[in-house]
Amino acid sequence: MERRQFIKVLGLSSLFLHGWLRDLFAAQGPVVAVAQGTDHAGITRKALSALGGMQRFVKPGQTVVVKPNIGWDRTPEYAATTNPVVVRTLVEECLKAGAKKVKVFDRTCNDPRRCYASSGIEAALKGMKNVEVKHLEEERFKNVALNGKVLKEWELYGEAVSADVYINVPVAKHHGLSRLTLGMKNVMGIMGGNRGSIHKNIDQALADVNAAFRPHLTLIDATRILTAHGPQGGNLADVKVLNQVIASTDIVAADAYATTLFGLKPADIAVTRAAYRRGLGEMNLDRMRIVRV
Amino acid sequence: MKKVTTPRISQLLFLALFLVLFLATEYRGSDRIVAAVNGFFRANPLTAASTMLAARSYLPLLLPGLIVLVAALFLGRFFCGWICPLGTILDLVTGRIRKVGAIRALTGRAKYWLLLPLLSSSLLGVNLAGLLDPIALLLRALTFFFHPLFGDTVRGGWRSLYGLMGERRDLLDPGYRLLRDYLLPFRETLYPLAFFSALLFVLILFLERYERRAWCRRLCPLGTLLGLVSRLGPLRRTPAKLCADCRACRERCPTSFDQELLQTEECILCMECALHCPSRRVRFRFAGPRPQVGPVMERRVFLGGVVGGVVLARGFRFRDPAAQAKLLRPPGVRDEDEFLKKCVRCGECMKVCLRSALYPAFFQAGAEGLYTPLLLPRLGYCEYNCTLCGQVCPTGAIPDLPREEKQRQVIGKAAFDKNHCLPFAKRIDCIVCEEHCPIPGKAIRSERVELTGFDGVKRTVQQPYVVDELCNGCGICENVCPLEGKAAIEVFRVKDRTPLTPSSPAAPPPGDSYTDPYAGNS
Repeated sequence: MERRQFIKVLGLSSLFLHGWLRDLFAAQGPVVAVAQGTDHAGITRKALSALGGMQRFVKPGQTVVVKPNIGWDRTPEYAATTNPVVVRTLVEECLKAGAKKVKVFDRTCNDPRRCYASSGIEAALKGMKNVEVKHLEEERFKNVALNGKVLKEWELYGEAVSADVYINVPVAKHHGLSRLTLGMKNVMGIMGGNRGSIHKNIDQALADVNAAFRPHLTLIDATRILTAHGPQGGNLADVKVLNQVIASTDIVAADAYATTLFGLKPADIAVTRAAYRRGLGEMNLDRMRIVRV
Repeated sequence: MKKVTTPRISQLLFLALFLVLFLATEYRGSDRIVAAVNGFFRANPLTAASTMLAARSYLPLLLPGLIVLVAALFLGRFFCGWICPLGTILDLVTGRIRKVGAIRALTGRAKYWLLLPLLSSSLLGVNLAGLLDPIALLLRALTFFFHPLFGDTVRGGWRSLYGLMGERRDLLDPGYRLLRDYLLPFRETLYPLAFFSALLFVLILFLERYERRAWCRRLCPLGTLLGLVSRLGPLRRTPAKLCADCRACRERCPTSFDQELLQTEECILCMECALHCPSRRVRFRFAGPRPQVGPVMERRVFLGGVVGGVVLARGFRFRDPAAQAKLLRPPGVRDEDEFLKKCVRCGECMKVCLRSALYPAFFQAGAEGLYTPLLLPRLGYCEYNCTLCGQVCPTGAIPDLPREEKQRQVIGKAAFDKNHCLPFAKRIDCIVCEEHCPIPGKAIRSERVELTGFDGVKRTVQQPYVVDELCNGCGICENVCPLEGKAAIEVFRVKDRTPLTPSSPAAPPPGDSYTDPYAGNS
């Protein structure tokens, strides 16, 4: 068969076998690794190896940014910030894969000193070689052209943008406006300026940022989730212990799966919907490969 | 500071201690700060006297101040010559300043005209002593002006280095980190009255142009108080007068020998005369012969001083009601009058405030409230889990409360301005205030309202409301409101600052049928 002919047949057959071509690729759709267990370091490693291990993402000598949610002055059990064990495991895996330097930071909402201390993340990473846990420095924000629907440009944190590998580690929790904060909302932690002002159109704005800035890996911490009064909670009655982590290279897919943990459908979350429509990832659960380990 | 003597070593040690404590008045990762940071104020007899007079009760926090006062009875003004950091700074610089002779207006009873009104206004419930207290003066100059200036300069340099070197600056990071972690303020806050605080300090230095320790001997209310006490004590210098054959003391003595007779209430026990007496005649001993001294002050000075206090306490009572609406006091302050009795305007709470929420009042609290701390939520907010201001307050004007209790203290109550607030005024989503509200049950909630936007599109908008029973007035909502300039939610002062009930009242969960009586739909 000649090449030209092959393409013709392929094109025509797609007319008759409706959706066949799409299904062919969808069958290999994004992998979402879901690991469950009370050993939070263990399940983090399991989820990683289900995706092919950290060496798939981190090559020797690279600079890695691990971006947890350290936004609030709450201790880990309140599920407002990322589980420090999960963060530490990720950092260890990065170093094992040969990372030259791992940077961990977040733009906090409460006092950064208190957030870093209370979240337990600073303590968990203390003394590790080639690991940097620093407060953000104003001068490192850089204007980045997003060319999005609502955000034309925004200040993003230079160290995040220039990292070789960016690993997104949000905690899954409730949010008053976007209903949930998951992977895509966690990217707000590298946004500078008046972040509150994007709330007026938060789903499109977050889609804009996520379209321009794509994490290489998203690992959602659902070891315990905050089900109400988010994003900072403060009441243990609102916390549910699930002992799960969800990992995927597709941020939308990871978010979509995590949404189900709250008894919601992926399409209930406007940010997920907006991102899916823009082709940033998959939100249909039946079109992703969910690997339970 | 030419020769090393015991008093000088003591002075330098205490100055170093003062600076170390100053730098330690900062959050460093622990919820508790070492209690010693306000030691200089708690051991300050003027603070103790004025605050206890005002509160008309014994305050155990200030016991060290009373001890120093009793010690002054036996040891004279040793505090001025051995401890006072402001005095030490004066001693350090005075050698470089040429003297032109005392200002006549100050050589009389001027110091009593300062001290007496301060103490008598204290008796009437307005504790103004801190305005001129040397320790407070110095701390405020450092806190409001010199430390931020230093931080700003260093950090600014570090920032511009980033502009020059970019990422390569990271090589120098370890060095900068040391500086940042131990010397710089966490953030450079610009304070109102910074200029005035620095000016007062510089003026005191400027007085050295006229004579040595001019401030200490002619004005300082703390020194004056100690001097008054020391006259009653048994410690005497012999000889009490200048010796006819020598008169070397006159040249040596920094404070008390511009007349023939040693002025006990001005002697700072620096020991210069004893150490340098050519014929080794000078001795300080207890129960020495009582020198002939004149009356402390004339009756007219005494009465005038007392009346001056009445004027200070009652004459500056005017308060502008509009300014009062936003007069927010630190957490735990429930009664304004009691607060004014106890606050010594030392500036410690403002120095330590995590989020730079506290600022010195100018005239918001009336003239009598000058330099007292107030919370400006648009510039900073009271961090939910922080209890530092209460910990460092030397007099308990801001009570030192456990975290859970402090979280229930009412600073004020938040209220929306619906002409500004986006979901009302523009019919678009926002709720940044709800997001940041730290109260576990959320004092700010929102209801989903179906309405037609001004663009003609029907949509659901979340309109926020305040649950008064839960709001503690921490001000984070006003602080983070994304609107420019004036926030659409503001914290206002309330008279009734009864703490919130421990377990939040059976409040409805978010997104339910609770209706805000003032929330208009659309």
